Amino acid sequence: MSIWGKLFSGGTSVLSSKTYEPALIRIRAGQPKNAVETAVAQAAKSIEQVLNLRPYDVQILGALAMADQKIVEMQTGEGKTLTAVMAAFSMVQAFGRVHILTANDYLATRDAAWMGPVYRQLGLTVAALTQKVPPEERRLAYSADVLYATANEVGFDYLRDGLVMQPEERVGGTFQSCLIDEADSILIDESRIPLVIAGGAAPLAGMVHKLALLAPHLQMGRHFTFDEYRRNVLLTAEGAQAIEQAIGCRNLYTHEHQRTLEAAVNSIHAQVLLHRDVDYLVRNSAIELVDEFKGRVALNRRWPAALQTAIEAKEGVPLQKQGRILGQITLQSLISMYPVKCGMTGTAATQAEEFSKVYKLDVITIPTNQPMIRQDHRDVRFRLKREKENAITEEIVKCHALGRPVLVGTASVAESERLSMLVASRGVPHAVLNARQDEAEAQIIASAGKLGAVTISTNMAGRGTDIELWPGVAELGGLYVIGTNRHEARRIDNQLRGRAGRQGDPGESRFFISYEDELMQRYGLGADHDVDHIQRIIEGQNLNARTILWKYEGLTEYQRQQFREWRDSVLEGVSEEPQRRRLTLEKIDEAWSDYLAQVTGLREGIQWVSWAGKDPLNEYLHRVTDFFADMPEWVESEVDRRLAEPEVQEEPLFDRGSTWVYLVEDQPWGTLGSRAFRGLMRLIGLKAS
Amino acid sequence: MKFFDAVANAFRIPDLRKRILFTLGLLAIYRLGGHLPTPGIDANKLEEFFRQNQGTVLGMFDLFSGGMFRRLTIFALGIMPYITSSIILQLMTLVIPTLEKLSKEGELGRRKITQWTRYLTVMLALVQSATIAISLQASGNFVMNPGPWFIFLTMITLTTGTAFIMWLGEQISERGIGNGMSLIIFTGIVVGLPSAIHNIYTNVAVTHEWNALQLIVILAIMVLVVGFIVLVERGERRIPVQYARRVVGRKMMGGMSTHLPLKVNAGGVIPVIFASSLLTFPQTAMQLSWVRDNAYLSGMLKAINHSEPMYVILFILLIVFFCFFYVSLIFNPNEAADNMRKFGGFVPGIRPGKNTADYMNNILTKITVVGGLYLSILCLLPEIMISGIKLQHLPLMGNWIDAHFPRFLLDGLNVSFYFGGTSLLIVVGVAMDTINQIEAQLIMRHYEGFTPRAGRIRGRRSSG
Repeated sequence: MSIWGKLFSGGTSVLSSKTYEPALIRIRAGQPKNAVETAVAQAAKSIEQVLNLRPYDVQILGALAMADQKIVEMQTGEGKTLTAVMAAFSMVQAFGRVHILTANDYLATRDAAWMGPVYRQLGLTVAALTQKVPPEERRLAYSADVLYATANEVGFDYLRDGLVMQPEERVGGTFQSCLIDEADSILIDESRIPLVIAGGAAPLAGMVHKLALLAPHLQMGRHFTFDEYRRNVLLTAEGAQAIEQAIGCRNLYTHEHQRTLEAAVNSIHAQVLLHRDVDYLVRNSAIELVDEFKGRVALNRRWPAALQTAIEAKEGVPLQKQGRILGQITLQSLISMYPVKCGMTGTAATQAEEFSKVYKLDVITIPTNQPMIRQDHRDVRFRLKREKENAITEEIVKCHALGRPVLVGTASVAESERLSMLVASRGVPHAVLNARQDEAEAQIIASAGKLGAVTISTNMAGRGTDIELWPGVAELGGLYVIGTNRHEARRIDNQLRGRAGRQGDPGESRFFISYEDELMQRYGLGADHDVDHIQRIIEGQNLNARTILWKYEGLTEYQRQQFREWRDSVLEGVSEEPQRRRLTLEKIDEAWSDYLAQVTGLREGIQWVSWAGKDPLNEYLHRVTDFFADMPEWVESEVDRRLAEPEVQEEPLFDRGSTWVYLVEDQPWGTLGSRAFRGLMRLIGLKAS
Repeated sequence: MKFFDAVANAFRIPDLRKRILFTLGLLAIYRLGGHLPTPGIDANKLEEFFRQNQGTVLGMFDLFSGGMFRRLTIFALGIMPYITSSIILQLMTLVIPTLEKLSKEGELGRRKITQWTRYLTVMLALVQSATIAISLQASGNFVMNPGPWFIFLTMITLTTGTAFIMWLGEQISERGIGNGMSLIIFTGIVVGLPSAIHNIYTNVAVTHEWNALQLIVILAIMVLVVGFIVLVERGERRIPVQYARRVVGRKMMGGMSTHLPLKVNAGGVIPVIFASSLLTFPQTAMQLSWVRDNAYLSGMLKAINHSEPMYVILFILLIVFFCFFYVSLIFNPNEAADNMRKFGGFVPGIRPGKNTADYMNNILTKITVVGGLYLSILCLLPEIMISGIKLQHLPLMGNWIDAHFPRFLLDGLNVSFYFGGTSLLIVVGVAMDTINQIEAQLIMRHYEGFTPRAGRIRGRRSSG
């Protein structure tokens, strides 16, 4: 590498676990050198005594690395639960309470119950927090040394605590240290998704239903076009006219028709961009979102207010209240509140740069206990989707005849069901695992490693599922994993492959792709493209988008802390008269809600600033800072005004949920210089992209 | 004042203080290198040569190298090769598919392109230095020991110098504050400030050429001009943009609206550079003997000499033209309207598409005229103050004007202003940019180094 390269590449951030081997040898020899090693050794001993399981060397290595605040990459089936216990014990001793952030409520309850005896023998208290736990018990749970909970639970408690009117209503604890399970899922895939607490406002029911009836009659291309990348619906002049006629207004693009226009655009968006059984399910007359990365229903997640309403209208389910956002925090910000953090996952290495850049966390790869002997085959490519699906069916039939278990990973509920039909038509018995069938999940997974089992799944069977092979299967070559699509991120593909070949088992994986797949279509790719290369590009772009969002989010995060301190001081303040105190709290909440809405709006439109050749981030920082500085004065004057005209206001009820955010694209057109050149090219008749 | 506040605050934060000192340190190194002559050249003769060629293209070149070109120091090539190289690479990302792909591959791809920019800079520097060495050798008596060895030595010296400046600039951008390349140009210009002040001092105190009143007037004009530049440079027309996709909050406090700002002076210094570069051609052409000897040609060229009325008119026209030209490059109203639609935005009250494009085009035309006139005034004012406008050279009414117009308008005040319009624009622009960045850094510093509640926890642990 050249000098320049060395100076600026910054080096790789994936480290080997060799650093921790001397400590491991000392622990095994019974001569731990420092507090961390002593703690890990002690925890390992307790695990052996209580559970009668002797932690493997690799588990101890993992625990040591996590106690050292790293992200560890450990393969499926290597026993991350035990690893976490040892790391957590050491962290409690060094940093205070530990929150172990699990992937779902089920795992939180299971691990807390399973590992409880070990912690208790070590003299620690342990608790699990799920959505069902009532407030009094929540407060108790937060006082435990080790708390098992999803990041969402902790986040919502934090948000709710920011809206209480009496200090003793707060339940949440302090943020001391956390250990994140499936770290890449939380820190990367979900990091942008804000948790939201929203107060209700009734939607414009009549208008929305009218538009939902109109939307299917509008034609793509003629009445509207859309931008897949930005997920925006664009009305054409003819489309705008059609809506104006239907509604009876003269110009949609005026201030007073803002909400109509918004409803119209969302109605079309719901109609064309969001697909039932791919993006969402309709169950018990409610819309349930399907998480793109996990393939499961994302509880309480909703689309931004008006879009959610539009989908409800499209599917004819009762309209829920639209949320005015009262509190909002991204998982990224939530995690950054922990001064000490570490994590574990099966797939971290490809994202090492991001972990180190955004979270200042290094990645350590832990070797597997048994050598991994799974064979990962090259992709099989097809021109048409139909050809691909036929080939997959053939492959399943062939394996089934041999008695070898097959796991098929599909991209959506709809695809899993279509494939299920194809396989059924060939008389192959099989199980389908998707967001619709989530109750039967444990049972389907338990039998997925049986002789002759065929399991067709969505991404649900990716992360976190551990498929054990039944007797006789290993001799047939182990589990055979078939992927029907490549995902945008290599990690998600690797998660699927990782279902085979656990703990030294044999196994194979192969992806079948076609040029009609969504990934290829969306990025307009032809036959000569290498999928890995495309994935790297997309990952690069996504990293970029997240880094930009992180830069913008940083200020909000800081201001949230300041705001919270201000609110807490009012909340705990005893000197003030109750009436004034209550009003101040209400006004603070209103101001914050207003701030959140305005900041979101400003971020969405910040790219226009780059037209003037100004630095958008710079401009954003200045404007938000000025705005923020004015808030205390506004709150005070509002409180005085309201004290002068006493009227009782009902307290707003609020719902919890999460939503997704639009990307911040702060310089979508490049710098001023590159724009000038594009202009020049245009001038001399060269086409520039 | 905001400026001093920002600087004072910046110095209070250790990390920022370090960055600012680092920047100043590197700029000092740059200036130091600016005193090292390239070996084997008679500097005095060269200086003499440049004095004779003032106002030609070479002068423009010299501006960007901070006077180092004139003295042919080791930094004589300045950062021009780097600028050219980045321009070429940018151009190529638009034309070559591989590069285009790379530029979209995020951080890694961008790093690779930067790398190639550096290589190309070195190549360009080699070519330019060879050209300089060869032409110096050919044009006679500047070189002490001509020969291939001299050419080789000059190429190595100048190329190394440019590579070093490039490195300085990148280090400043990365670890210092502000944009390294701009600051290097900035330094080259403001470095003449002390001698300008000395000049004023001599004029007032030693030669008594100026009296106190004249001094005050001149200083006041300087302050006013700088203030005027700052005012106009910050000037923008804000077109409101609304989004179709979400409800805006209750907006109780008002304040942060989304808008598309259109700068009054969108092109910055670029139109001036283009215009004055074009106007240096007549003078450059006058160097050629056959042009000088041709009465018709030389008469025509003389009419557009500095401070001639024709020159002034041509200058204004060219500046306004290049303002429009540049704006048309960076801002295509149809494209902007289309982008706005793609992002789901619209201007309240105006239909997307052609209506919006027309609306923007209309505004753009108006403010660009204003911007062009502003630039013209800015660039002509110093020149007029120095040598006036030779209105008496106009046909027919020339004699009458000569008799009735005040002398200072026709012949100027004969004050030697250090800063021309171009330099002033660059200096003020870079200064504003840098201050803006320091302020942004200050805001970011507030929250970036901020680990929430860490302090509180540490305190609790140590006490309990």
